[in-house]
Amino acid sequence: MDMPPKSILKKTAEKPADPRHLKVALHHANALEDRKRVERDVLEAIMTLMDFPASPNADAKRPSPADASHFQDAVLIFQPSDYDALIEERNIADRCGYALCSRPTRKARSTARKQFVDTDHGVQIVERKVLEVWCSDDCAKRALYVKVQLSEDPAWMRQGGLGEKIELMVENAEEHHKALPLRLKQEGASTSDDDKELLDAAWAAQADAMANLALERGEKPGQLSKANGDLIQDQIMERGFSIAPPQPPSLPAQASDHTMAIEGHVPRINRKDRDDDEDEDDAQDWDKLLPG
Amino acid sequence: MEGERTSATLIRLWRVWRTTKEMMNDRGYIVVEDDMTMALDEFTRKFAREDGEPDRSRLNFSCQPSQDMLAKYTDAPTKKVPNPVPNIGNIWIEFNHDENVGMKQLREYMTHLVQGSFHSGIMVTVKPMTGMAVRFLRASTTLSDGPKGGIEVFVEQDLLVNITKHELVPKHVLLSDAEKSQLLERYRLKQTQLPRIQATDPVAKYLGLRRGSVVKIIRKSETAGRYASYRWVI
Ligand SMILES: [Zn+2]
Repeated sequence: MDMPPKSILKKTAEKPADPRHLKVALHHANALEDRKRVERDVLEAIMTLMDFPASPNADAKRPSPADASHFQDAVLIFQPSDYDALIEERNIADRCGYALCSRPTRKARSTARKQFVDTDHGVQIVERKVLEVWCSDDCAKRALYVKVQLSEDPAWMRQGGLGEKIELMVENAEEHHKALPLRLKQEGASTSDDDKELLDAAWAAQADAMANLALERGEKPGQLSKANGDLIQDQIMERGFSIAPPQPPSLPAQASDHTMAIEGHVPRINRKDRDDDEDEDDAQDWDKLLPG
Repeated sequence: MEGERTSATLIRLWRVWRTTKEMMNDRGYIVVEDDMTMALDEFTRKFAREDGEPDRSRLNFSCQPSQDMLAKYTDAPTKKVPNPVPNIGNIWIEFNHDENVGMKQLREYMTHLVQGSFHSGIMVTVKPMTGMAVRFLRASTTLSDGPKGGIEVFVEQDLLVNITKHELVPKHVLLSDAEKSQLLERYRLKQTQLPRIQATDPVAKYLGLRRGSVVKIIRKSETAGRYASYRWVI
C-alpha cells in the first residue's frame, strides 16, 4: 500500500547552456534589477515628497533653492503616472497637490459630488474631487508645468540617461542661480538650445490648451477671456503665448496631451457623461477632466 | 434602539466583522465563539453610535495564535537553528474609516503595529487603497521598519461573505515546514515542481498564506471520494 510513489512530473532536461541564451537571460535579469531599483526610488521619493515642503511657511511661488532642487531631482525618474500618484497621496494627507506648496487643499463647501463655484463667468459646476486637489489655480498651473516635462518612458528604459532637468515656475529665479534656468527670456541666449526647445514646446502646449479652453467657452482663439486673464497675469508668465496665435505642440508625447490646460477644474462641455457611474471613484479625476 | 431602522452600513459591517472573526479563527488564532455568531442587535448595542451608524474604531481587535498555530508556524529545527521561534505572533486588526486610504494611513498603521509589538496586522478599508500604497505594502515586507509578519489589507467588500463557506470552495490546509519537507521527500520533488497558487488568490488571501509555503487542497469527488492535491504559494 505504501510503496514509494514515483514523481509524476517531468524531469527537466539538462542541456548545455547556450551562451547566447545566457546573455539574453543576463540582460533580462539586469533589466529587472533596474526596474526594481527605480520602483523603489519612486516609492521613496513619493514618501518624502508627500510631506514636502518641510517648512510650514514655504511658498510655492518662491520655493527655497534647497526645496526646489530636491523636488527637481526627485521627480526626474517619475513617469506622469507616478506624479499623479504623488498628488493623490498628498491630497489624502490633506496637502495641496503641488509638492512645493505647504498649504492644504481647497475645501468644497459640502460633500456633494458636484460643486457650484463662482467664477468670472458666473457659477460653474465642478467635481468636488477636482476642486479639492489644489489650494489654488496657481498651484495647479505650477504642478502641471512639471508634469508635462516628465517622460512617458519608465526610467529603467530611458536611452541616454534620465533626461533634462525638470524646470519649475518660480518668481524668485534669481535666488536659484543656476539651479533653475531662467525662464523669463524665452528668446534669450542664456538657455541652451535643448532648454529652449522644451520651453517652447511647453508654452505651445499651454497656448494650445488655452485656446481649447477658450473655444469651449465660445471665445475666439487667441483672445483672452477674463478668467484666463486671471490665471496668466502672473509675474513670471511674461508675454508670448497670450499674444501669439496658438500653435500646435511640437514636442511628442509629453506636450501633446494638453496637460498644460491649467484650469483642471473646468468641466468640459462635451465631456463624456460619467454620471451613470456614481460609484466610480478614480482619484485621478482631476486629470481626466483636462481637455485633450 | 427599539423601532429604529438599522443602518445599512451597520448591517454590512456586522457581516464584515463576523467574517473577519471567522477568518482569524480559520487561520488558527484564538477567537471567542460568541463573536463569530454575534447577533445583529448585540452588535448594534456594542458598536453603533447614537446616530445608528457604526463606530469603526470600536471594532478593532487583537488576536493571539493558538498552540496549534504556533506549532504550525514554527520551522523544523536544524543544526543551525536548533530552537526555532514561531513565525507568527499577536495580530492587530483595524477597521479604517477613511474614504481614501493611502500611504499616510498605512505608515501610521505600521508605526502603531511596531509600537504595540504586534507581529503582524490586518487593515480593513472602506474602499481600495491607492496604487502607491499597494506598492508600499509590497515593499514593506522587505523593509526593516515594519512589523515582522507584514501587513495585509482587505476591502470591506471582500469580507461581506465568507468565501470559504461556499460549497464549491475546497478545503485549504496550510502545511507546516516539517509537513512540507515530508511531502517533497516522499514524492522526490522540488517545491518548484508543484502546481502553484497565487498568494493573491482569494482563499490564499483569506488564510494569509505566504509565499513559499505549501497548501493542501482537499476536494470531494463523486467518483473518488476525497482526494488531496498540493500547491506551492507564489
Ligand atoms: Zn498649493
